[in-house]
Amino acid sequence: MMATHKVQIDDVVRDATPAEVAQIEARQAEAEAQAEAAEVKAVARQAVLDRLGLTEQEAQLLLGS
Amino acid sequence: MGVPSGYASAQVVQAVPTGINSALVLISSTTIGNAVSSVTVSNAFSSTYDNYKILISGGASSALGGLSLQLGATTTGYYWSVPRLVYGGAASNETGANGSSFTSVGGMNADGLGMNVDLIAPFLSKNTFYYSNQVANGTSSVAGGGGGFLNNTTSYTAFTVAPSSGTLTGGTIRVYGYINS
Repeated sequence: MMATHKVQIDDVVRDATPAEVAQIEARQAEAEAQAEAAEVKAVARQAVLDRLGLTEQEAQLLLGS
Repeated sequence: MGVPSGYASAQVVQAVPTGINSALVLISSTTIGNAVSSVTVSNAFSSTYDNYKILISGGASSALGGLSLQLGATTTGYYWSVPRLVYGGAASNETGANGSSFTSVGGMNADGLGMNVDLIAPFLSKNTFYYSNQVANGTSSVAGGGGGFLNNTTSYTAFTVAPSSGTLTGGTIRVYGYINS
């Protein structure tokens, strides 16, 4: 069963059409993938720092970010 | 100076003295409804202004996350980068190439929505540029300055704001035009 969503056009709120539901869910999936990719990078960075024995602050001093 | 009787503040801004050619003019103010998955503002852009500012404040979201921005009905061609730092921590950058929207433009949680975007030339038949500082309002979240462009030359009159997950309730979307001079 397709999830329900409401969309707002200016001051009017209505139920999303099936095409709009698909677009909303695709957009949210893309945002989730972006967030997960950033999280994976952060975890990988921390793993490298742990191997080098560096704190985050020390890494920022060395690398600038 | 107070606002004269019969005038809204935006109208006072419009009444800039002769010779002063720089001002922001309020174009529209939209109150976000209850538990909506997206909000479209129609007739935001026109030939009157080349460049615009979009501000979102107040309201709440059902989940912690970001706000995305889409122009017209275009769902492809968004190129953007947001170099960011976790509060007190490491880099947590996000970027997109040929995406379906400018994904990480604003912040949202149960305590408020925040977005501050400058749009360059959305109505002109040129690339549209966006400039923004994304501030995510979670204690372990991120902030950083970002931007991007929409890789087409379509003329737009409308935009849509949407949460990265969940829904939005309340708050106000204000659109301002930068006076051409």
